Amino acid sequence: MFPKLDPILHSELRLAVISILAGVEDADFSFIKKQTGATSGNLSVQIDKLCAAGYITVEKGFKGKMPRTTCRITEAGLQAFSNYVTALQEYLSAGK
Amino acid sequence: MEQNKEMTASESLALIAETMNNSRRVILRTNAKHFILWGVLLTVLSLVIYFLWHSTGSANWNLLWFAMPAIGYGTAALVNNKKDADPKNEISRLLGLSWSAFGFFSVVLSAIAIFAVPMNITLIIVLLLGLAECISGVILKSWPIAIAGMIMGIGGAVAAVLLKSEAQLLLFTLGGLLLAVTGLVIKLQYK
Repeated sequence: MFPKLDPILHSELRLAVISILAGVEDADFSFIKKQTGATSGNLSVQIDKLCAAGYITVEKGFKGKMPRTTCRITEAGLQAFSNYVTALQEYLSAGK
Repeated sequence: MEQNKEMTASESLALIAETMNNSRRVILRTNAKHFILWGVLLTVLSLVIYFLWHSTGSANWNLLWFAMPAIGYGTAALVNNKKDADPKNEISRLLGLSWSAFGFFSVVLSAIAIFAVPMNITLIIVLLLGLAECISGVILKSWPIAIAGMIMGIGGAVAAVLLKSEAQLLLFTLGGLLLAVTGLVIKLQYK
């Protein structure tokens, strides 16, 4: 019996976002946008979904006079990401 | 990456690996900028103090070293003063901590050497510089940088005893060049 893949993470853009955040302390919205190549609108929607699931936190502030949105992965997000990778590896090893 | 498409297991793992590697590369390239900045600053300042000391015969020009943190951090702040800050990861955090420790020890010991207990401060700082460089090499898993740090620290300490007065400053010129080269190596490594 294979573990069920987390539907929140099993989406290309959300998975890319969580992969970036898993390797850094925090990241600006614009950094994530540049790394993923997504549009602002689509990225905002996916970030909201990750935030609603409790996988990331979003902090809005300013750097000088410019607005700045910072995202950070939570403990729950790291655990979900780890479980997701483990599940993927099980799928792949079963397929060999 | 506009479509929120469903992926196969191998596509998902490939995406994770690619995304993590890309952001790691970007972060380390940002670190390279700092190595180059401090390396150039150290090279230029050591040469300026060397020529001032050499031409006037006064060692008091060494007080200019205390301007280095202000110039370096000021320039780094200007370089980083863009809207979107690059994130930090474990490697950049460890590098930052190592070099902050180097800066702290250097400034405090220099102040003690000048105002309280005279000591061969060139020997101490060049040793610290080599040690910090060597630790950076280990963190970055770059043997050329680690070995260059060892040579800088050990060779520099010996040279600091053998060289006299302003000639010792040229060790910092070499140290600065080494830092700048380290930055270039990181930049090339994580292109």
